[in-house]
Amino acid sequence: MAIIELRDISFRYGTGTPFEKQALQDICLSVEHGAFIGIIGHTGSGKSTLIRHFNGLLRPDSGQVLVNNEDIWKHPKQIRSIRFQIGLVFQYPETQIFADTVARDIAYGPKNMGLDQETINQRVREALSFVGLDDSYLDRNPFRLSGGEMRRVAIAGVMAMRPAILVLDEPTAGLDPEGCRNLFDHLEQYRRKTNTAIVMVSHSMEEIAEHVQRVLVLDKGRIVLEGSVPSVFAHAGILNQFGLDVPQITKALLGLKKKGYPVDTSAVTVDQAENELLRLFEGKDDE
Amino acid sequence: MTRDITVGQFLPGQSLLHRLDPRTKIVLTLVFIIQVFVSKSALSLCFLIVLLGVLIACSHVPAKKVFRAVRPMIPVIIFTALINIFYVSGNPVFHYSFIRITDQGLFIGFTLFVRLTALIAGCSLITYTTSLNQLAAGLEQLLAPLKRFHFPVNELSMTLSITLRFLPTIAEELDRIIDAQKARGADLSSANLYKKVHAYFPIILPLFMSAFRRAFELTNAIECRCYQGGIGRTKMNVLRLSRLDYQAIVFFCVAFGLSIAFNLYFPTFF
Repeated sequence: MAIIELRDISFRYGTGTPFEKQALQDICLSVEHGAFIGIIGHTGSGKSTLIRHFNGLLRPDSGQVLVNNEDIWKHPKQIRSIRFQIGLVFQYPETQIFADTVARDIAYGPKNMGLDQETINQRVREALSFVGLDDSYLDRNPFRLSGGEMRRVAIAGVMAMRPAILVLDEPTAGLDPEGCRNLFDHLEQYRRKTNTAIVMVSHSMEEIAEHVQRVLVLDKGRIVLEGSVPSVFAHAGILNQFGLDVPQITKALLGLKKKGYPVDTSAVTVDQAENELLRLFEGKDDE
Repeated sequence: MTRDITVGQFLPGQSLLHRLDPRTKIVLTLVFIIQVFVSKSALSLCFLIVLLGVLIACSHVPAKKVFRAVRPMIPVIIFTALINIFYVSGNPVFHYSFIRITDQGLFIGFTLFVRLTALIAGCSLITYTTSLNQLAAGLEQLLAPLKRFHFPVNELSMTLSITLRFLPTIAEELDRIIDAQKARGADLSSANLYKKVHAYFPIILPLFMSAFRRAFELTNAIECRCYQGGIGRTKMNVLRLSRLDYQAIVFFCVAFGLSIAFNLYFPTFF
């Protein structure tokens, strides 16, 4: 069963002003437990608007958002309870840190849920371990941590609410390659351990290719392509048309094919491409 | 939400008022406001209101917009006018226990209402027809003579421009932080004032942090470009008074002269 289901969501910004703009149009989407979904799209394609509909920060002009089969806008006053089930991590989440210790900042979400102190403490430790930081961080000043550590503390602040879906808007923006790898390792472990679904917005085709199971491509507020990673990246021409690209390694394979080498261009990660190239060379040896 | 805050309310256009030099507009607005407040004669005040009406018509700004600028101030204006009605001495027209309303009080209260409304409408008119950058440039040049007294005019106008430039950025940032904390279950709609103030801490603190960070980044960027105040700096768009400005100045001199004449020759309200 889907945790969240979006049915024909449409949304306009600034209705009735000269700045009116159609931001989303007829979006349908559902997320199952444990899924890993990637959303890609050009700047201004509606990605951030879309994820703000997941937890009721924005209310669609038409269409429904169902969480556990119930319309989240049926009781607008209880929208807060939805936000604990759908965890949203914004771009550069470290800028929202406010508390004087790491523990207090991570505890903000669970505290808003009205949990008792003991459960909160337990959740804080658990969340901290999910992002790969040990208990020695609990009493440290978050503003004195490195950028990557701050980012992880901020993500832990959302994980501590134990959401059924974790939505991340460009979680690796501004991190070094080591930090990116580290973050993804922990996200993957977290997803496996807790069966939490992850929805990730990203600009990096490599990240998408490497980690997610299903990709949505947004353009001008519409879903223009959707499917498994290889099936989406098989449409290099269409992606280019929307100002997007295929992973670099796929590009390399496409280049080889153009030169007349009989390669299969469905590989989207370096590992897959390596296997494909080895196969190609082995095939030559046989001749 | 905060996105809707219009910082400044400039409506681009090509009307007479839009084309005037910002300095002309600033000075004439100031003189107009002074006139509205010192006028003791009903005729003069009526004349100034008609003048304001003509100016609004010339500016191509919809009257509705001007009214919208005045509207939020109406409670304050009415309150001020009422206080005056009750506290000015004169011939009583109404008397009940401690409440005493005099004819003088009524007139002063009423004219104060008119004066304050005209003040706000006049100020809104200049902000509707002048972009913030132009206003800042105009102010800088008007204050330029103060440099002689070591008043940091350039620095002041630089600070002003930077403030104006960053207001929308900070408003955007505020939106983002509110969304982020709401996503963590922040409850900002509490009716309890103490709880409400408390709920805003997680929003105000990050906002300040980011404002300071931005300020430091900006300082570095400015220093890297060797900014050292206004010494020897020239402007890309130099303000020049055009023929239109001289015409406007002459027109207003006549209008203000008339208003003064009304005050001198018809000095009462009756």
